[in-house]
Amino acid sequence: MSATFLVALREAFEAALLLGIVYGYLDKIGRGYHARWVTAGAAAGVLASIAAGAAMTWLSGPLLDLGPDVVGAAVIFLAVGVLTWMTAWMRQHARAVMGQVQRRVDAAERSHRLWVIALIAFTGVFREGAETVLFMWGMVSQPGDGGTAWSNLGGAVLGIAAAAALAWAIFRGGRRLSLPRFFTVTSALLLFVAAGLFATGVGRLAAMGILPVTSALWDTSWLVDDGGIVGSFLGGLVGYRARPTSLEVAAWGSYVVVAGLLFFGDLLRRPRRRSATVRGPVAPAEPWSRPDA
Amino acid sequence: MRRLVAFLGVAVILGLGGAAGATAADKPVEIALTIENNRFSPEEIKVKAGAPFVLVITNKDKTPEEFESKELRIEKVVPGGKTLRVRMPSLKPGTYPFIGDYHQQTAKGRIVAE
Repeated sequence: MSATFLVALREAFEAALLLGIVYGYLDKIGRGYHARWVTAGAAAGVLASIAAGAAMTWLSGPLLDLGPDVVGAAVIFLAVGVLTWMTAWMRQHARAVMGQVQRRVDAAERSHRLWVIALIAFTGVFREGAETVLFMWGMVSQPGDGGTAWSNLGGAVLGIAAAAALAWAIFRGGRRLSLPRFFTVTSALLLFVAAGLFATGVGRLAAMGILPVTSALWDTSWLVDDGGIVGSFLGGLVGYRARPTSLEVAAWGSYVVVAGLLFFGDLLRRPRRRSATVRGPVAPAEPWSRPDA
Repeated sequence: MRRLVAFLGVAVILGLGGAAGATAADKPVEIALTIENNRFSPEEIKVKAGAPFVLVITNKDKTPEEFESKELRIEKVVPGGKTLRVRMPSLKPGTYPFIGDYHQQTAKGRIVAE
């Protein structure tokens, strides 16, 4: 029972983290009524997970060999894309709240494509969803020792409930933070989640033979093993791997540097005066900060 | 600054793309791996180091199992009663453990490359 609890908690952790953040975000900008977009995205993710799980049990041959890998990699990179977008919004808001809060938030909301928020919920749930569905289906359909199967299933359900409680805690915790702090903390968090996903995606492509296989750069499994619960949490939060390959480290580092400079570069630059060679004295350089975008 | 960022981004993408061309495609050997009663058989697979191979995994149980090697970044769900083929990369000499993620207490094995 405890084993299935941990597996389910581990699979649901990332989805819970993302759902907690996006629900908190909408609540924070006073747009809690848009939460239905998040709920709809998460519900679509659950349905798609069930469909994918069912498809896997019917498929065979090359479709079964490669299909789940291709879908899995596509979902990972889609998630990296929408999370990057979300981080950009958060940074935009963090800057906006320094000035006239409400007007800017209204402008930002008009420019927002809320389906991106729905997509975050969808990818967050769907990414590990099909595996979780098959995992739980396996326990229900296990023939023979019925008692154990049901207690195992109970463990898995409790694991998902614990993840949901975590999402709730993030949502409630976010309410206590001041608005600028909330945006800064969550946008930094999303940046690392996306960096971890990017490295995971690159690792998958290497395993599929699309990218070269590189050897592990270091081994910290003696300290935090990524199969354990702490390692899994760190994996979901910042992309921790006990034995990262050089390609994964390069992917993670490049993402953090490029996205960090793009989204947080202004924090480094603030004390200095802007260079005179910057084109357009007033126009914001970031495409996402256009109010009419 | 922004140009530098754009340049870095393009450089990374080109680097990843260029590296992608360097994979060999000889006919790899096939090695059978069976899952039965939530255990792998054989539990130790010996392979030649430096040569890619294909694992042909058959799940004889009714329940699904997930073949997972954390080290090799491979996670493959094998539904009950199904057989699937997993392309494995060429390995350096060493031992690479794998587990059945859904039955971690019993389903354990390792690939030994030498």
